[in-house]
Amino acid sequence: MSKKMIALIILTFKEGVRDRALIGIGLFSVFMMGGALVVVSLFMRELHKVSVDINLSAITFAGLLLTFFVSINLIAKDMDKHTIYCVLSKPFSRSQYIWGKFLGIMLLIIVAFGILTLCSSATIFFIKSQYEVYFKGFSWFSFYTAIYAELLMFFLLNAVVIFYSTITTSSFITLLFSISTYIAGQTIEEVVLFLKTRGAADMVLSEGINKIIDVAQYILPNLSVFDLKVQSAHAVSISNGYLFSITAYSLIYTMILLLVASFIFTRRELK
Amino acid sequence: MSEILIKNISKTYISDFKREKKTAVQDVSLSIDSAEVLGIIGRNGAGKSTIIKMIMGFIRPDKGTIAIDGKIPLDPDSRLNVGYLPENPYFYDNLTAQELLNFSSYASGLDKKTARRSIETLLKQVDLYEVRKQRLRTYSKGMTQRAGICFALVHDPEIIILDEPMSGLDPFGRKMVIDLIEDLKKRGKTVLFCSHILNDVERICDRVAIMDSGELKGIYTKQQISESEGMEELFLNVVRDKKI
Repeated sequence: MSKKMIALIILTFKEGVRDRALIGIGLFSVFMMGGALVVVSLFMRELHKVSVDINLSAITFAGLLLTFFVSINLIAKDMDKHTIYCVLSKPFSRSQYIWGKFLGIMLLIIVAFGILTLCSSATIFFIKSQYEVYFKGFSWFSFYTAIYAELLMFFLLNAVVIFYSTITTSSFITLLFSISTYIAGQTIEEVVLFLKTRGAADMVLSEGINKIIDVAQYILPNLSVFDLKVQSAHAVSISNGYLFSITAYSLIYTMILLLVASFIFTRRELK
Repeated sequence: MSEILIKNISKTYISDFKREKKTAVQDVSLSIDSAEVLGIIGRNGAGKSTIIKMIMGFIRPDKGTIAIDGKIPLDPDSRLNVGYLPENPYFYDNLTAQELLNFSSYASGLDKKTARRSIETLLKQVDLYEVRKQRLRTYSKGMTQRAGICFALVHDPEIIILDEPMSGLDPFGRKMVIDLIEDLKKRGKTVLFCSHILNDVERICDRVAIMDSGELKGIYTKQQISESEGMEELFLNVVRDKKI
């Protein structure tokens, strides 16, 4: 990787890591994980499920806040406030800008995930030492696999954010589109499954709606495949084949989105 | 030899909602020679910044061509030897001036040692050395402008493009920028800049281009300006379409 790309990645990372919103996100996550210590003591059974659920949810929630409030700002603010001029006045192509920004944001997400994983591991370790007997069905491997899958989801979601930033001029629209994509991506599989079951037989949908659902199913990212919280809470082992599939799915989808974003952004006028 | 060559460029903006067209630049041809200081003056909306944005490759001309050192603006290498200061520069709030200049140096291909020396010299020159480790969000407008000038000059480029470099500066800051441009001129750099402050333009530039309503009304040498009634009178006459 060239020196100038590293400079852009570090610039993006530093700008993001010093965002004031990050302090709030960090404190909230730590509070949620600490809260798990109290909440778990209120349960009488399946304590490992509760603690895994709370910790994984805290990590996901922190990742979402990071994506929707910090990542969006890092790209959209560049356009809004014209800080992009300071990067593009240097010998960067538009696609180098897109990739540099993405890698900087990913570095930020990876570091945040690293810290959150350490905090949640410490929380679970503490609860486990207190209630050893309830943790017979717990597996660290399943827990870390679920975190890895979440990380893959955030790779993809941040590529979605970058994609929307290149086609809109407002950070609010980028935020709106990104949240919509996240919700649709999490639920599209369930919607399609529901429509295919007998339960939906009474519902009469127009052909147009059916077509839209069909198209959306293939275009929108299926983010529910990265949600392994239930498997982790029940210590269900995930096959290597599944892990390989979701890794490939995330990377390929991310690459396609970034290539399309680069293509659009190269043609965009920066007034 | 021309460092920047602009041939018959035109640009029309189309508003997002009403789809109204507004001509920002119309059939402008201009060349800036090596080691020359050229100033572009004009009223607000005359098309000065649009020309600079087209040179930098931020926007594309609808017609015409631009070459910077023989390269088109869409080629990233065309900016390898260019230093640029935008109008009302806004930099990354959470970075320090030192970090911003580190980025500028490494992005322009400087090695660590050269970058450190250059950053130190420039920061001392614009009186920001003592506050180099403060975040840019704590800087005043004038300080940000001076940090922007360092950002443009840190890699010692041959071509320097400054969009309103004196805006937001107090008299001391303005003098400092004028001295800096004069120093660049002595060192044989090519400088293109826009300004509203006519006295400064008259003092620094070898030639002055006057624009109005997107059109280039004329290019005047220092001698032509001194033979006329002064920069201000010349400008007013030209924009009123009274040719000298």
